[in-house]
Amino acid sequence: MTEFYDRYSAALFGVIQRIVKDDSEAEDVLQEALVKIWNSIESYDTSKGRLFTWVVNISRNLAIDKIRSRQHRVSASVQSLDDSLTAQRQASPDSFRPEHIGLQEITKQLVPEQRQVIDLLYFGGFTQSEAAEELNLPLGTVKTRARTALKMLAKLVR
Amino acid sequence: MEDYQEYIESGRLEQYVLGELSPAAQAEVEDWAARFPQVREELEALEAGLGVYAEAHALAPPPAMRERVLSAVFAQIGPPAAPATPVAEAPTMRVSASNPHVAAAPVAAPAAGRSSGWAIAASVALLLSLVGNALLYSRWQQASESLVALENDQARVASTTQVLNRELTDTRQQLHVLRSPDEYKLVALAGTPTHPQAHARVLYSKSEHRVYLDVQQLPPLPAGKQYQLWALDKGKPIDAGMLTAATASGDGLQQMKDIASAQTFAMTIEPTGGSVNPTLNTMTVVGNI
Repeated sequence: MTEFYDRYSAALFGVIQRIVKDDSEAEDVLQEALVKIWNSIESYDTSKGRLFTWVVNISRNLAIDKIRSRQHRVSASVQSLDDSLTAQRQASPDSFRPEHIGLQEITKQLVPEQRQVIDLLYFGGFTQSEAAEELNLPLGTVKTRARTALKMLAKLVR
Repeated sequence: MEDYQEYIESGRLEQYVLGELSPAAQAEVEDWAARFPQVREELEALEAGLGVYAEAHALAPPPAMRERVLSAVFAQIGPPAAPATPVAEAPTMRVSASNPHVAAAPVAAPAAGRSSGWAIAASVALLLSLVGNALLYSRWQQASESLVALENDQARVASTTQVLNRELTDTRQQLHVLRSPDEYKLVALAGTPTHPQAHARVLYSKSEHRVYLDVQQLPPLPAGKQYQLWALDKGKPIDAGMLTAATASGDGLQQMKDIASAQTFAMTIEPTGGSVNPTLNTMTVVGNI
């Protein structure tokens, strides 16, 4: 568990923090997620995907449950999402970190509209139809943007 | 809807990887993935993409949180007992290390019989050995913790190096292009009457067929549009590739598609992803070799 924490906590905490937007709540969710991962590790099915995907999904779902339960979503408008992302990036330590380079590279690859869609879907916990409504776009456009963006990201690691 | 292409387009797969689907709908997606390798591939690509996105947003939790979270987690899942973790192996080691002494004590006592001296000596030895083991154990634990920390550091340095190396290779390549005036011919692309401010350059190597693009200034794009570079060979337009958002904003050189022969380069505004033929009335810059 200690090893697991050292290896995955940054990735999980990053996702959780960006969903709940609060350090101490993120800590609670991270803790919950680790317990859940530990207790359900037998149900992890290697044929269904990578371990990383599985653990990130567990953490993300718990974080989304959290914001749904406190009905945080109404206020989580597009603007505040963008603001909080920029704020966090500036607030983070200025020591040299490769994950930040990664973020910059990704920002360069994605056009702002794609990022906005992915952020809403991934960190806002919106469904595609909710995101379409929020952004005043046809559902088809949201679907296309999400797919193009995700495939572009996948290409980056190949 | 038995057509897998249609299924890929339906947006179901995105919902699946984002965890929006009901268990029944999830099973349906998995069933499609099992039947069509194309669906499976698409699904894996989407998952990998999200993984990159998640990793790119990694945020190291405050150091103080590590102890708090771990102890809270251990309180819920029970003490570290799994044989797989190094922390858990420790108690076993201590028992086995002190085994000889444990065994020695009962043997020594009856043999001595008349005197308890041997027994006392053995107990003292056992006690000392336990204290020694406890000390060693805690040192060993510290060592293994710092090992994990070091391994993490090392992994981070390694990935930093990788990223830097990639950037260095790119930069070297750009420098090479800029420093080879014989090999790379500079083609200035001037703005068309509708966009007089627009200005870009193409660096074209006829012998190697390579094309690099350097943007000085381009008008901002409307939503859903992208700049596309075209090479004109004997009046016929050839797609030379799409400009990334970074290139369009003048961030650096971008290598475009290889072009065997051209007399003119031009740029148009096309729907994201590009067009087969240029939309001529959106032509922004143009220049002859």
